[in-house]
Amino acid sequence: MKKLQLVTKILAVVLISAIAFVGVYVQEQNRMENKVKDYQLGMNVEGARVITLTVNEGTEEIIKDPDGNIVTEEEKQEGVDYTTEEVPINEEEALTTDNYKKTKQIIEERLKRLGVNDYIIKQDEPTGKIIIEIPEDSQADHIVSNISQVGKFEIVDSKTKEVLMDNSDIKLSNVLYNQTQDGTTVYLNIEFNDAGTEKLKNISTEYATKEETNTTTNETQAEEATNETTDETTEETSEENTEEEQKEVALQIDGTQMVTTSFDDVMENGSIQLSMGQATTDRDKLNDEIKNASTVSTVLDTGNLPVEYQVYGNEYIESDITTSMLIKLAMAGGLVLLLGFIVLTIKYKKLGFLASISFIGMAALYVLLIRYTNVIITLEGIVAIALIAILNYIFNYKLLAEIKKAEQDEFENSVKESFKKFFIKIIPICILSIVFCFVSWTPISSFGMAMFWGIALMILYNAIITKNFLKS
Amino acid sequence: MKQQTTKSKIIYAIIILVIILGAVAVYLKGFNFELQYQQNKMMEIYIGKEFNIADVRQITNEVFGEEQVLLQTVEMFKDRVAITAADITEEQKASIVEKMNEKYGLELEADSVTIENIPHTRLRDILKPYVLPLIIATVVTLIYIAIRYYKLGVIKTIFKTGIIAVLAQLFIFSLMAITGFPIGRFTIPIMLFVYVLSMLYATTKLEKDLESKQAQTEETQEV
Repeated sequence: MKKLQLVTKILAVVLISAIAFVGVYVQEQNRMENKVKDYQLGMNVEGARVITLTVNEGTEEIIKDPDGNIVTEEEKQEGVDYTTEEVPINEEEALTTDNYKKTKQIIEERLKRLGVNDYIIKQDEPTGKIIIEIPEDSQADHIVSNISQVGKFEIVDSKTKEVLMDNSDIKLSNVLYNQTQDGTTVYLNIEFNDAGTEKLKNISTEYATKEETNTTTNETQAEEATNETTDETTEETSEENTEEEQKEVALQIDGTQMVTTSFDDVMENGSIQLSMGQATTDRDKLNDEIKNASTVSTVLDTGNLPVEYQVYGNEYIESDITTSMLIKLAMAGGLVLLLGFIVLTIKYKKLGFLASISFIGMAALYVLLIRYTNVIITLEGIVAIALIAILNYIFNYKLLAEIKKAEQDEFENSVKESFKKFFIKIIPICILSIVFCFVSWTPISSFGMAMFWGIALMILYNAIITKNFLKS
Repeated sequence: MKQQTTKSKIIYAIIILVIILGAVAVYLKGFNFELQYQQNKMMEIYIGKEFNIADVRQITNEVFGEEQVLLQTVEMFKDRVAITAADITEEQKASIVEKMNEKYGLELEADSVTIENIPHTRLRDILKPYVLPLIIATVVTLIYIAIRYYKLGVIKTIFKTGIIAVLAQLFIFSLMAITGFPIGRFTIPIMLFVYVLSMLYATTKLEKDLESKQAQTEETQEV
C-alpha cells in the first residue's frame, strides 16, 4: 500500500513536470499549440523598441504681413502683400548642452509619468541626440508619437494671437471624468499657479460671453436692416460691432488649437476643464480619450522642451540573449541540480532520493506559478529563480540532516525544527522580496515577485508535499 | 572553536586582500564596461530574409578580429542585422558590406549604409531605480536584526550584518575589476545574488551566536 502511494506521488511529480517543462500541446488548425501560458520576458531578455531622437535642424516657412506680423495661410487676405521667410525650427541660441540635458530630463520624466516601467535613456551631449529603449508592448507606439512633443501650452487671443498665458502659468494638470446618463466625459483639468490664476481671472473678465439677449438684439437689428434693405452699410457696421464685442480666446498646445471659447463666468478658482470628447459609453473610445488626456496632462506637467526634436529612428531590436542561450542556461542549471540530487541520494540514501523527486515537483510548480502570476522574466528575475533553487536545496539538505539526526518517533519535531531554523534565517530575504514587489520598475519587481512566489511556494510545498514524501 | 576563528580570519584576510587588489585594478585600469554600456558605433544591414546570426558572426570575426562585436536582429521579420562595435571604420564598413553581398547575394553599396554613433549608458542611471528600494529593505532588515538578536548587542549585530553585506559587494566588484568582467546588464543581477547570499550568511552566523549565547546563559544558570 505504501509502495503504491509512493509510486502515485512520483507519477504525479512526473505529470506536473511534463506539463511545466514540456507543455500541453493541442492541435490548432495545422499546427500544435502549447496550451500552457508562455513566459513574459522583460526588455533585457527579449528586446526593446529603440527610439532615436535628433535635434530638428530643419526650417519652417513663415508668412509675414506688411507690418511684420506672422499670419497663417487661413488668415491671408486678398490684395495684401505677404512675404515668406525660411526660419530654423530651433534657434541657434537654443542649441546648447544645457538645453539638451534639460530635454533629456523632461523626456525621462514623461516616460515615468506615462507609466513606462523599464527604460534606458542615453544622450550624446555634443549633438543632443537621445536614444531611448522601451519595452515592445501595446504602449510603445503611443509613446513614440508623444514623447518628443514640445508641449508648448498657450492661451491666445483668437484674433490678434497675442499670448495671454503659457506653460509658466501652469501648476499642474490631471484627468477628470464626469458621468451622466449619456455616458462618461473625460476632461483635462488644468490648474494654474497664483500668477496664472490672476491672469485667468482677468482674461475671463475681458473675454466674458456677452449676454445672449444683446447679441440677439444686434442680430435682429441686422436682420431687420437687411430685410428692409434700408442701408447696407448699417448692417455691416452692426455685424462688426457684434464681432468686436465678443472676444474669444484660443487654447493651443504645440500650435494646435484645442478649443476657442469665451467665458460665461469669471474664473476665480484658477483651473479650467477641457472636454476631450463627447460623453460615451464605448469602453475603447473612453480608454482612448483617457490615454490622450493623460498624455496631454503629462506633456503639460513636465514642461515644454527647450529644443524641438524629431524621431530619427524607431525600430525593434532583439536582445543578444537569445532563446537558445536561455535554454542552455536552464540546462546548465538543471545539470548542477542533478549533481546536487546525486549528492543528496548518496548522503541520505532513500530520503535523499525522495527529497530530490519532491524538489523536481516544486521546480515544476514554481515555473508554472511564475507564468500564471504574470511575473515578467528579466535577468534579475532569472537570478531570483536561481536563488530560490539554491535556498530550497539548502533547506532540503538541512531538513534531511535534522531527520537523520533525530530518532524515528521524532520525525514531526525534526521537520518543525528545520522549518523554524531555516525560515527565521531567510526573513531578511523575505523583507527584500516584499519591498521589491511594491516597486514598479520592472527588473526590480521581476526579482521581487519571483522571490516572493518562490518563498511562498517553498514554505507551502515543503510543509505539505516534501514532508509527505519523506514520511513515506 | 579556535580552529573556526582561525578559518574565519583567513577567509576575511583573503576577502580584504581581493578588495585591495580590486581597488588597485580600478585605479590603474578602471572597470571594463560591456559594449552596450560604452560609447560605440552601430551599423544596420538589411538582408531581406531570415538569416543565421552565426554566419554574420563569421563575417564580423573576419573583419574585426578579436574585437568585441554585438550582433542583434532588428524588427519583427528578423531580416535586418545591427552590428555594434566600439569603433567601425569606413574600411571595416565597406568590407562587411562586401562580404554580406557575397554571402547573401545582395547588391548593397557601402555608401548606403550609415554608421551611427551610440552614446554610452551612465552606470548611475542604471543603479538609480535600485537605490531607494535597497535602502528601505536594508533599514527594515537591520531593524529586524536589532530586535531578533538584541541579546547579542544591537550595535554589534547591526555592524556585523552591515559589514558582511558591504564586504560581499566590495568583494564581487573587486573580482570584476581584477578579472575584467564587464560591468553591464549582469552587474545588478549579480549584486542582488550576492546581497541575498550575504544576508543568509549573516543571519546564519547570528543564529549560531545566539544559540551559543543562550547555551552559555543556561550553563551559568545551572552552575
